[in-house]
Amino acid sequence: MNVLQHLATVLADLLRADDRRVVLGEDVADGTMLGLTRIAADDPELAPRLLATPLCPSVLPAHAAGMAAEGFRPIVICPEASSLVDSLAAVREAAKLGWRHETPAPVVFIAPFGPGFGLGGGGTEGPASILSRVPGLRVVVLSEAAEAGASLRAAVEGWAGDEPTVLLIPRSLALCAAGECVDALARPFATPRRVREGEAATVFTWGAALPLVRAAVERSGQDARIIDVECLAPLDRDTLAAEAKATGKIVIAHEGPRHCGVGSELAALFADDAILTLDAPVLRVTGDDGPLTASAEARALPDLETLTTAITHVATF
Amino acid sequence: MEPTPWDPEGVTVVLDPNGQLVGTRPTSVDTKQLYKLLVAARCLDLKLSRAGLPMWASAAGEEAALISTALVSEEQDWIYPGFRDVAVALGRGLEVEAIVAGLFSSDELGPGRIASPSHRIAPPTDALGMHLALATGRAHAQKLAEQRGVTFGLFGEGLTTTGAFHESTMLASSLALPMVMVCRSQLWPDGAPAEAGAVGDSVADRAKAAGLWVRRVDGADALGTHAAVEAAADRARQGRGASLVEVVVTQMRRDPPAHRDPVERLRRHLDQTGAWTQTLQDVIEAEVRGSLERAIESVTEPA
Repeated sequence: MNVLQHLATVLADLLRADDRRVVLGEDVADGTMLGLTRIAADDPELAPRLLATPLCPSVLPAHAAGMAAEGFRPIVICPEASSLVDSLAAVREAAKLGWRHETPAPVVFIAPFGPGFGLGGGGTEGPASILSRVPGLRVVVLSEAAEAGASLRAAVEGWAGDEPTVLLIPRSLALCAAGECVDALARPFATPRRVREGEAATVFTWGAALPLVRAAVERSGQDARIIDVECLAPLDRDTLAAEAKATGKIVIAHEGPRHCGVGSELAALFADDAILTLDAPVLRVTGDDGPLTASAEARALPDLETLTTAITHVATF
Repeated sequence: MEPTPWDPEGVTVVLDPNGQLVGTRPTSVDTKQLYKLLVAARCLDLKLSRAGLPMWASAAGEEAALISTALVSEEQDWIYPGFRDVAVALGRGLEVEAIVAGLFSSDELGPGRIASPSHRIAPPTDALGMHLALATGRAHAQKLAEQRGVTFGLFGEGLTTTGAFHESTMLASSLALPMVMVCRSQLWPDGAPAEAGAVGDSVADRAKAAGLWVRRVDGADALGTHAAVEAAADRARQGRGASLVEVVVTQMRRDPPAHRDPVERLRRHLDQTGAWTQTLQDVIEAEVRGSLERAIESVTEPA
């Protein structure tokens, strides 16, 4: 079973558990192109809550927020994260219901992004950066195959709050084997977590770059800790700054463009809050700035060699 | 009375320019109450026009659409108004004091805008037309909940060129949502400029082609407007899907003939039936102006 198939199972379970939950999207009645509603579509009890809509990319997030305002718990399946950029006006209005009108709209958007399907284009544009700047929107990136289902559950159950949440699925993760899946997260959702202990340097990363960072740390032989940032908005600034101060040596690694990538904000955050405890330059290793063609989409990921060199450089600075 | 260039074509008429009943009078409407609210809405508009609120736009001449929508709506219904649709709050039963306090408040919505969760008036959106998409979502939820709820979306014809309007219309139409769109179209006696978005024959025709049930009425005819909005809401409540009522309005600031004023036309009607007297007019106006002035004073003067 791959990650998408596992997510389909969890999604059906979530629909079974609460009949306020509905799924929105153009192809949700047919299972969706990602197959996320295939199991629910085969269940006569659940199928009526797969609400197929005509294509209306610029307003669908607002429509979902309107449903949430009336007590439903919509889950929107997006063909890709850049479709949320296409509907930015509606996403902003959905998020605004919380911070401006004190009635947050608990909508979960599930969106694949980044390289992995050989599509290029939107796969390399870094929609996470744009979405992270929308006030009132939570942006979470999956990074572990075994935790993908549990993270979806936590997002839909509102562990981190009632704000609308974008759950970004790296395409490179989507087709991985789900492995031994955890049912529920044994940790808080949407918070930075230490995935490797170490004292020589701190590597901040998320999503598709995490396995690369793990490999680079092993190759470098350095005692680096790895932090999966997980939630790109809102950032848990205190925890992140504390992890930076712990070693004083920082590498930031993520997929997508370096220019205005979320890594830029992290670097600035460490300059603001931790500059006096830093013992080395802050290094960023990111995807190519692009634009990238479909055949070059792998360059949207950080390069393993560059990453290894950066970790060694910082740890031995 | 001969039709003038100020009179819209293709509309269903209940009150003619002289205030005479020429169509079926909606039985559900208390004409005197409707008149009082129209007068109150006009007083509120005039008062606010002079208050110097930033980005304030007058809706004088458009009251029949706003008040009728509010009167037709039931308690469980929601109204999604646009920026200048404050009169809806009056019709929905909000106290003048609360309305004024909301309009002059600088938090949350900003000055000149109003929303009321308790009276089910949704806040306006910054993105043009996006309140209609929030409204279709609300209507979708009401449909699934099967509790007779209807959602009203208010806007002007200028919005009908936006993508948000088209996509929301598609959602409302294809999902047969219990949604009533109330569109106010301005009348252009000398032809509409390009930026008015008045393309084709009418908004109603365009909406009809999109699969909505439509009515086109004259906004100067408050009884006709009320009847059309009510019919649309009844259909929605019966599960018969979404609709659009196009109300052709004339803004008073453009100085149209008196019979284009919905307040004046209903006054003529009440006068003919013996229900209007100058004393009645004075009492209504004094009541509204009194509470308006007190409310405005209390929010504009430092305590």
